[in-house]
Amino acid sequence: MNYLDSLIKSMEWLSDKDDTLFIGQSVKYSGNSIFNTLKTIKDKKKIEMPVFEDLQMGLSIGLALEGYVPITCYPRFDFLILACNQLINHLDKIRYMSNNKMKPRVIIRTSIGSKHPLNGGVQHTQDYTEIFKKICTEIDVIMLNEPQEILPAFKHAYQRKDSKSSLIIEHGDYYNEK
Amino acid sequence: MNIKIPKNLKKVRTVNLTSEDLITFEKKIQKVYENGDINAPVHLSSGNENELISIFQYVAKKDWVFSSWRNHYHALLHGIDENYLFNEIVEGKSMSTNSTNPNFYSSSIVGGIIPIAIGVAQAIKLKKQNNKVWCFIGDMTYETGIFHEAYKYSKNFKLPIQFVVEDNGLSTNTPTNEAWGIKSKNISEDIIYYKYERGFPHHGTGNWVLF
Repeated sequence: MNYLDSLIKSMEWLSDKDDTLFIGQSVKYSGNSIFNTLKTIKDKKKIEMPVFEDLQMGLSIGLALEGYVPITCYPRFDFLILACNQLINHLDKIRYMSNNKMKPRVIIRTSIGSKHPLNGGVQHTQDYTEIFKKICTEIDVIMLNEPQEILPAFKHAYQRKDSKSSLIIEHGDYYNEK
Repeated sequence: MNIKIPKNLKKVRTVNLTSEDLITFEKKIQKVYENGDINAPVHLSSGNENELISIFQYVAKKDWVFSSWRNHYHALLHGIDENYLFNEIVEGKSMSTNSTNPNFYSSSIVGGIIPIAIGVAQAIKLKKQNNKVWCFIGDMTYETGIFHEAYKYSKNFKLPIQFVVEDNGLSTNTPTNEAWGIKSKNISEDIIYYKYERGFPHHGTGNWVLF
C-alpha cells in the first residue's frame, strides 16, 4: 500500500470510532492534499473551520477535554506555526498545570509542503520536525517516512493508554513518490 | 455595583461565600506570600467581590468556568475546596488553578483560555448537554484579536458560552484604553461587563518580600 492509500486507510480507521472528529480548513472541501485523504469520510464526522489556526488548536483541546478525540488538520507545517500558543503553552503544559487530571488527547496532522513538481516556496515547504521535538515536552512528535509506519502511528495515537497528544507529520512529496 | 445580567440567564445557585470570606482568603495568601513562603508570583483579587458573588448565582455547578491568572475568587465561588486552592497557590500555581470537579481551567497567557472555552462549548452543543461555559476575561483580553474571532464564532454557531469582561482598566500596569486609543466602549448586551478598581498590584501584595 502506498503513502496516500495508507493515510486514507488510517483516516477511515479513525472515522469508525464514535469519539473522533476531523477538524480544520479543507476537511470537507477541496483545497489541499490532506483533503485527498478525507474524501471517503462522512461529512457528519467533519467540522470545516475558518482560518483561525490558534483558535482551532484551542478548540481541539476543548473538544478533547469533553471526551472527543479531534484529528485537527493543518495542511502545511508553516501554518501550524500560527497555532503555537495553544500547542505549546496549553496542550503541551495542561497535564502539569492540572496535576495530571486533565488529559486531552488531540491528534494533530500536518504536512511538509511538497517541492515537486511545484515548489511551494519558503513559506509553504518548511520542515520544523526537529524543532518541535525539542520544544514539546509532552506531545509526541512523529514523522511519517514510510507507508507501513502510517496506520500503526495513528492507531497508537488513538489507543495509547497515557492519552498523550500526538503531532503526526506527513511529507507532501511522499504522496506521489512513495 | 454596575453590573447588567443578560435577561436570558437564570439564577441557579445560592452563593454561600460572602465578600468577607473572599477577602479573608486573599489576606491569608498575602500573609504567607509576605513571609516568603511562596516562590512564585501570586495574583490576588480584590475589589470585585460583590460583582462576582452576583454573577456566580447564575453559574451552575456542572458548568465549566474559565479564568485567568487572577482566578482565586472565581475558583472559590465555583466550589473549589479552599484548602486545595490554598495548597495549590503555596505550591506556586496561583496563575494556573485547574480542577476537574468542578470543571475549572485557568491560564496565565493573555487570551489563552478563550479558544479552549470555545472547544468545550462546541462539545457541549454536539453532545446536547444542558450545561454551559463561563469565560472570565479582563479588559485588555477583551480587545485582543483572539477574543473577537472567538466571540464571532460562538455567536454565529450559538454556542453555550457566556463571556464576562472584568474591567479594571489595566493590563499589568498599562492603561488599556490609552494603549489602544479607546475613547468609549460599546460592549454587546450579551456580554456581562463590569468595572472595578483592583485592590492589589498586578502581582504580589505591594510590599517588599525577601525570599
